[in-house]
Amino acid sequence: MNIDVGILANARNECRKLLTEQVGVLGVVISSVDGFDVASAVTRDLEPAKIAAMASSIAAIGIVVSQEASLGASKSITVNTEDGFVYITNIELAGQLCALNVIANSSAILAQIIYHSGEIKRRLEVS
Amino acid sequence: MKEYKLVFTGTTGAGKTTAINAISEVPAVKTDVANTDSTLNKEFTTVGLDFGQINLANGDRVRLFGTPGQSRFDFMWKILTKDAFGLIILIDNSRPEPLADLAVYLEGFAQELRNTPCVIGVGRTEEHHTPSLDDFSTALESKGFTLPVIPVDVRLPKDVILLIELLMAQAEADMQEEFLSQ
Repeated sequence: MNIDVGILANARNECRKLLTEQVGVLGVVISSVDGFDVASAVTRDLEPAKIAAMASSIAAIGIVVSQEASLGASKSITVNTEDGFVYITNIELAGQLCALNVIANSSAILAQIIYHSGEIKRRLEVS
Repeated sequence: MKEYKLVFTGTTGAGKTTAINAISEVPAVKTDVANTDSTLNKEFTTVGLDFGQINLANGDRVRLFGTPGQSRFDFMWKILTKDAFGLIILIDNSRPEPLADLAVYLEGFAQELRNTPCVIGVGRTEEHHTPSLDDFSTALESKGFTLPVIPVDVRLPKDVILLIELLMAQAEADMQEEFLSQ
Protein backbone atom coordinates (compact mmCIF):
# COMPACT_ATOMS: atom_id res chain seq x y z
CA MET A 1 0.00 0.00 0.00
CA ASN A 2 1.64 3.23 -1.11
CA ILE A 3 0.81 6.07 1.26
CA ASP A 4 2.83 9.22 1.69
CA VAL A 5 5.19 8.99 4.69
CA GLY A 6 3.86 12.27 6.08
CA ILE A 7 0.29 10.96 6.07
CA LEU A 8 1.47 7.73 7.70
CA ALA A 9 3.27 9.71 10.41
CA ASN A 10 0.07 11.69 11.06
CA ALA A 11 -1.89 8.45 11.23
CA ARG A 12 0.54 6.94 13.76
CA ASN A 13 0.39 10.11 15.80
CA GLU A 14 -3.42 10.04 15.85
CA CYS A 15 -3.38 6.39 16.95
CA ARG A 16 -0.92 7.21 19.73
CA LYS A 17 -2.97 10.18 20.92
CA LEU A 18 -6.18 8.17 21.15
CA LEU A 19 -4.35 5.39 23.00
CA THR A 20 -2.79 7.69 25.57
CA GLU A 21 -5.51 10.31 25.99
CA GLN A 22 -8.63 8.15 26.28
CA VAL A 23 -9.25 6.05 29.35
CA GLY A 24 -9.51 2.31 28.71
CA VAL A 25 -8.16 2.26 25.17
CA LEU A 26 -5.87 -0.73 24.70
CA GLY A 27 -5.06 -0.40 21.04
CA VAL A 28 -5.69 1.65 17.94
CA VAL A 29 -4.94 0.16 14.54
CA ILE A 30 -5.51 1.57 11.09
CA SER A 31 -5.63 -1.29 8.61
CA SER A 32 -5.92 -1.67 4.86
CA VAL A 33 -9.10 -3.23 3.48
CA ASP A 34 -7.19 -6.44 2.80
CA GLY A 35 -5.93 -6.77 6.34
CA PHE A 36 -2.52 -5.13 6.62
CA ASP A 37 -1.47 -2.96 9.54
CA VAL A 38 -0.92 0.57 8.17
CA ALA A 39 -0.47 2.56 11.40
CA SER A 40 -0.95 1.58 15.02
CA ALA A 41 -0.40 2.25 18.68
CA VAL A 42 -1.09 -0.61 21.04
CA THR A 43 -0.39 -1.82 24.53
CA ARG A 44 2.12 -4.63 24.53
CA ASP A 45 -0.44 -7.45 24.69
CA LEU A 46 -1.95 -6.70 21.30
CA GLU A 47 -0.57 -7.61 17.89
CA PRO A 48 -1.45 -4.98 15.26
CA ALA A 49 -0.94 -7.42 12.36
CA LYS A 50 -3.47 -9.84 13.81
CA ILE A 51 -5.97 -7.08 14.65
CA ALA A 52 -5.65 -5.70 11.11
CA ALA A 53 -6.44 -9.08 9.53
CA MET A 54 -9.37 -9.75 11.86
CA ALA A 55 -10.79 -6.27 11.36
CA SER A 56 -10.61 -6.73 7.62
CA SER A 57 -12.65 -9.96 7.83
CA ILE A 58 -15.20 -8.44 10.22
CA ALA A 59 -15.58 -5.31 8.08
CA ALA A 60 -15.99 -7.36 4.89
CA ILE A 61 -18.64 -9.53 6.50
CA GLY A 62 -20.36 -6.34 7.73
CA ILE A 63 -20.48 -5.08 4.16
CA VAL A 64 -22.16 -8.23 2.81
CA VAL A 65 -24.62 -8.32 5.72
CA SER A 66 -25.66 -4.71 5.08
CA GLN A 67 -25.96 -5.43 1.35
CA GLU A 68 -28.06 -8.54 2.00
CA ALA A 69 -30.36 -6.54 4.27
CA SER A 70 -30.48 -3.63 1.80
CA LEU A 71 -29.33 -1.23 4.49
CA GLY A 72 -26.89 0.73 2.36
CA ALA A 73 -23.17 1.05 2.88
CA SER A 74 -21.67 -0.32 6.09
CA LYS A 75 -20.17 2.52 8.14
CA SER A 76 -19.02 0.95 11.38
CA ILE A 77 -19.14 -2.22 13.45
CA THR A 78 -19.09 -2.54 17.21
CA VAL A 79 -18.27 -5.78 18.98
CA ASN A 80 -19.50 -5.48 22.55
CA THR A 81 -17.89 -7.89 24.97
CA GLU A 82 -18.10 -8.65 28.69
CA ASP A 83 -14.97 -6.65 29.37
CA GLY A 84 -14.99 -3.95 26.74
CA PHE A 85 -15.57 -3.40 23.06
CA VAL A 86 -14.00 -3.20 19.63
CA TYR A 87 -15.09 -0.35 17.40
CA ILE A 88 -14.31 -0.50 13.67
CA THR A 89 -15.10 2.34 11.30
CA ASN A 90 -14.18 3.22 7.72
CA ILE A 91 -11.51 5.82 7.17
CA GLU A 92 -9.74 7.12 4.09
CA LEU A 93 -6.00 7.63 3.99
CA ALA A 94 -4.76 9.45 0.91
CA GLY A 95 -7.93 8.42 -0.89
CA GLN A 96 -7.50 4.74 0.00
CA LEU A 97 -10.18 3.01 2.02
CA CYS A 98 -8.94 1.69 5.36
CA ALA A 99 -10.43 0.76 8.72
CA LEU A 100 -9.83 2.44 12.06
CA ASN A 101 -9.98 -0.13 14.86
CA VAL A 102 -10.21 0.80 18.51
CA ILE A 103 -9.92 -1.89 21.18
CA ALA A 104 -10.97 -0.77 24.64
CA ASN A 105 -11.76 -2.22 28.04
CA SER A 106 -14.91 -1.52 30.03
CA SER A 107 -13.57 1.70 31.53
CA ALA A 108 -13.77 3.35 28.09
CA ILE A 109 -17.00 5.03 27.00
CA LEU A 110 -18.18 3.90 23.59
CA ALA A 111 -19.85 7.19 22.66
CA GLN A 112 -16.66 9.05 23.46
CA ILE A 113 -14.59 6.67 21.33
CA ILE A 114 -17.05 7.04 18.45
CA TYR A 115 -16.76 10.82 18.74
CA HIS A 116 -12.95 10.80 18.83
CA SER A 117 -12.77 8.27 16.00
CA GLY A 118 -14.89 10.65 13.93
CA GLU A 119 -12.50 13.48 14.75
CA ILE A 120 -9.48 11.38 13.74
CA LYS A 121 -11.23 10.46 10.54
CA ARG A 122 -11.95 14.10 9.77
CA ARG A 123 -8.38 15.20 10.48
CA LEU A 124 -6.72 12.38 8.54
CA GLU A 125 -9.03 12.63 5.58
CA VAL A 126 -8.16 16.28 5.06
CA SER A 127 -4.44 15.83 5.66
CA MET B 1 -33.19 -33.23 4.76
CA LYS B 2 -29.55 -33.29 5.76
CA GLU B 3 -27.19 -30.35 5.54
CA TYR B 4 -23.49 -30.71 4.82
CA LYS B 5 -20.81 -28.11 5.09
CA LEU B 6 -17.85 -28.18 2.72
CA VAL B 7 -14.90 -25.84 2.92
CA PHE B 8 -12.69 -24.70 0.05
CA THR B 9 -9.29 -23.47 1.05
CA GLY B 10 -5.91 -23.04 -0.60
CA THR B 11 -3.56 -20.50 -2.05
CA THR B 12 -4.52 -17.01 -3.06
CA GLY B 13 -5.57 -17.05 -6.70
CA ALA B 14 -6.15 -20.82 -6.75
CA GLY B 15 -9.83 -20.22 -7.45
CA LYS B 16 -11.79 -20.80 -4.24
CA THR B 17 -14.24 -18.00 -5.00
CA THR B 18 -14.45 -19.09 -8.65
CA ALA B 19 -15.13 -22.72 -7.68
CA ILE B 20 -18.01 -21.74 -5.41
CA ASN B 21 -19.40 -19.38 -8.04
CA ALA B 22 -19.17 -22.12 -10.65
CA ILE B 23 -21.58 -24.46 -8.87
CA SER B 24 -23.62 -22.46 -6.37
CA GLU B 25 -27.36 -22.53 -6.98
CA VAL B 26 -27.84 -19.34 -4.99
CA PRO B 27 -26.07 -16.04 -5.69
CA ALA B 28 -22.69 -16.54 -4.00
CA VAL B 29 -21.74 -14.31 -1.10
CA LYS B 30 -18.29 -12.84 -1.57
CA THR B 31 -16.15 -10.71 0.71
CA ASP B 32 -13.61 -9.61 -1.86
CA VAL B 33 -11.79 -6.34 -1.34
CA ALA B 34 -9.12 -4.46 -3.26
CA ASN B 35 -5.75 -6.20 -2.98
CA THR B 36 -2.94 -3.91 -1.78
CA ASP B 37 -0.27 -6.64 -1.63
CA SER B 38 2.08 -5.98 -4.54
CA THR B 39 3.45 -9.54 -4.33
CA LEU B 40 0.11 -10.87 -5.54
CA ASN B 41 -0.93 -10.39 -9.12
CA LYS B 42 -4.64 -9.92 -8.54
CA GLU B 43 -7.03 -7.03 -8.22
CA PHE B 44 -9.28 -8.42 -5.49
CA THR B 45 -8.81 -10.82 -2.63
CA THR B 46 -11.13 -12.61 -0.20
CA VAL B 47 -10.74 -11.45 3.40
CA GLY B 48 -13.79 -12.91 5.11
CA LEU B 49 -15.51 -15.85 3.50
CA ASP B 50 -17.27 -17.03 0.38
CA PHE B 51 -20.60 -18.77 0.60
CA GLY B 52 -22.67 -20.75 -1.83
CA GLN B 53 -25.13 -23.61 -1.77
CA ILE B 54 -26.12 -26.62 -3.85
CA ASN B 55 -29.00 -29.04 -3.45
CA LEU B 56 -28.46 -32.75 -4.00
CA ALA B 57 -30.91 -34.96 -5.92
CA ASN B 58 -32.09 -36.58 -2.66
CA GLY B 59 -33.02 -33.17 -1.22
CA ASP B 60 -29.96 -32.83 0.98
CA ARG B 61 -28.24 -29.47 0.96
CA VAL B 62 -24.52 -28.73 0.71
CA ARG B 63 -23.34 -25.39 2.03
CA LEU B 64 -20.08 -24.29 0.46
CA PHE B 65 -17.67 -22.05 2.32
CA GLY B 66 -14.46 -20.52 1.00
CA THR B 67 -11.68 -19.29 3.25
CA PRO B 68 -9.28 -16.43 2.64
CA GLY B 69 -6.03 -17.85 1.23
CA GLN B 70 -3.40 -15.89 3.11
CA SER B 71 -2.20 -17.36 6.39
CA ARG B 72 -2.70 -14.03 8.18
CA PHE B 73 -6.38 -14.98 8.01
CA ASP B 74 -5.82 -18.40 9.61
CA PHE B 75 -8.28 -17.51 12.40
CA MET B 76 -10.99 -17.69 9.71
CA TRP B 77 -9.74 -21.14 8.69
CA LYS B 78 -10.56 -22.42 12.18
CA ILE B 79 -13.93 -20.70 12.31
CA LEU B 80 -15.04 -21.93 8.91
CA THR B 81 -13.94 -25.56 9.25
CA LYS B 82 -15.83 -26.11 12.50
CA ASP B 83 -18.20 -29.05 11.90
CA ALA B 84 -17.23 -29.26 8.23
CA PHE B 85 -18.00 -32.50 6.45
CA GLY B 86 -15.03 -32.11 4.14
CA LEU B 87 -12.16 -29.94 3.06
CA ILE B 88 -11.01 -29.15 -0.48
CA ILE B 89 -7.51 -27.70 -0.77
CA LEU B 90 -6.86 -25.86 -4.03
CA ILE B 91 -3.29 -25.32 -5.14
CA ASP B 92 -2.18 -23.03 -7.97
CA ASN B 93 0.61 -24.81 -9.87
CA SER B 94 1.73 -21.56 -11.50
CA ARG B 95 2.98 -20.22 -8.17
CA PRO B 96 6.69 -20.48 -7.39
CA GLU B 97 6.50 -23.28 -4.81
CA PRO B 98 3.26 -25.26 -4.99
CA LEU B 99 4.53 -28.04 -2.70
CA ALA B 100 5.49 -25.51 -0.05
CA ASP B 101 2.01 -23.98 -0.46
CA LEU B 102 0.47 -27.40 0.15
CA ALA B 103 2.56 -27.79 3.29
CA VAL B 104 1.15 -24.51 4.64
CA TYR B 105 -2.41 -25.82 4.42
CA LEU B 106 -1.56 -29.29 5.71
CA GLU B 107 -0.07 -27.61 8.75
CA GLY B 108 -2.80 -24.99 9.07
CA PHE B 109 -5.53 -27.64 8.99
CA ALA B 110 -3.56 -30.39 10.76
CA GLN B 111 -6.13 -30.78 13.49
CA GLU B 112 -9.09 -30.92 11.09
CA LEU B 113 -7.33 -33.36 8.74
CA ARG B 114 -7.21 -35.96 11.49
CA ASN B 115 -10.91 -36.66 11.06
CA THR B 116 -12.16 -34.65 8.07
CA PRO B 117 -12.10 -36.04 4.52
CA CYS B 118 -9.94 -33.96 2.21
CA VAL B 119 -9.22 -33.73 -1.50
CA ILE B 120 -6.45 -31.75 -3.21
CA GLY B 121 -7.24 -29.95 -6.48
CA VAL B 122 -4.29 -28.62 -8.47
CA GLY B 123 -4.95 -25.86 -10.96
CA ARG B 124 -3.09 -24.63 -14.06
CA THR B 125 -1.34 -27.98 -14.54
CA GLU B 126 -1.65 -27.78 -18.31
CA GLU B 127 0.65 -24.78 -18.55
CA HIS B 128 2.72 -25.65 -15.48
CA HIS B 129 3.68 -29.33 -15.50
CA THR B 130 5.85 -29.37 -12.38
CA PRO B 131 5.41 -30.38 -9.70
CA SER B 132 3.48 -33.36 -11.08
CA LEU B 133 0.48 -34.92 -9.37
CA ASP B 134 2.81 -37.74 -8.30
CA ASP B 135 5.07 -35.16 -6.65
CA PHE B 136 2.04 -33.93 -4.68
CA SER B 137 1.16 -37.49 -3.64
CA THR B 138 4.75 -38.12 -2.55
CA ALA B 139 4.77 -34.87 -0.55
CA LEU B 140 1.50 -35.90 1.10
CA GLU B 141 2.81 -39.38 1.93
CA SER B 142 5.95 -37.90 3.47
CA LYS B 143 3.68 -36.08 5.90
CA GLY B 144 1.59 -39.16 6.59
CA PHE B 145 -1.40 -38.34 4.38
CA THR B 146 -3.01 -40.44 1.67
CA LEU B 147 -5.36 -38.06 -0.10
CA PRO B 148 -6.75 -37.87 -3.64
CA VAL B 149 -4.95 -35.32 -5.85
CA ILE B 150 -6.52 -34.32 -9.15
CA PRO B 151 -5.98 -31.58 -11.76
CA VAL B 152 -8.83 -29.07 -11.84
CA ASP B 153 -10.05 -26.09 -13.76
CA VAL B 154 -12.29 -24.50 -11.16
CA ARG B 155 -14.06 -22.43 -13.81
CA LEU B 156 -15.68 -25.66 -14.98
CA PRO B 157 -18.61 -26.84 -12.84
CA LYS B 158 -17.91 -30.48 -13.78
CA ASP B 159 -14.40 -30.24 -12.30
CA VAL B 160 -15.67 -28.73 -9.06
CA ILE B 161 -18.43 -31.35 -8.81
CA LEU B 162 -15.79 -34.04 -9.33
CA LEU B 163 -13.88 -32.69 -6.30
CA ILE B 164 -17.03 -32.91 -4.21
CA GLU B 165 -17.84 -36.42 -5.45
CA LEU B 166 -14.34 -37.56 -4.53
CA LEU B 167 -14.79 -36.05 -1.10
CA MET B 168 -18.11 -37.87 -0.65
CA ALA B 169 -16.52 -41.14 -1.79
CA GLN B 170 -13.67 -40.64 0.63
CA ALA B 171 -16.09 -39.95 3.48
CA GLU B 172 -18.01 -43.11 2.62
CA ALA B 173 -14.80 -45.15 2.56
CA ASP B 174 -13.79 -43.69 5.94
CA MET B 175 -17.18 -44.64 7.40
CA GLN B 176 -16.91 -48.20 6.05
CA GLU B 177 -13.40 -48.51 7.47
CA GLU B 178 -14.62 -47.25 10.82
CA PHE B 179 -17.53 -49.70 10.75
CA LEU B 180 -15.29 -52.66 9.89
CA SER B 181 -12.83 -51.79 12.63
CA GLN B 182 -15.55 -51.92 15.30
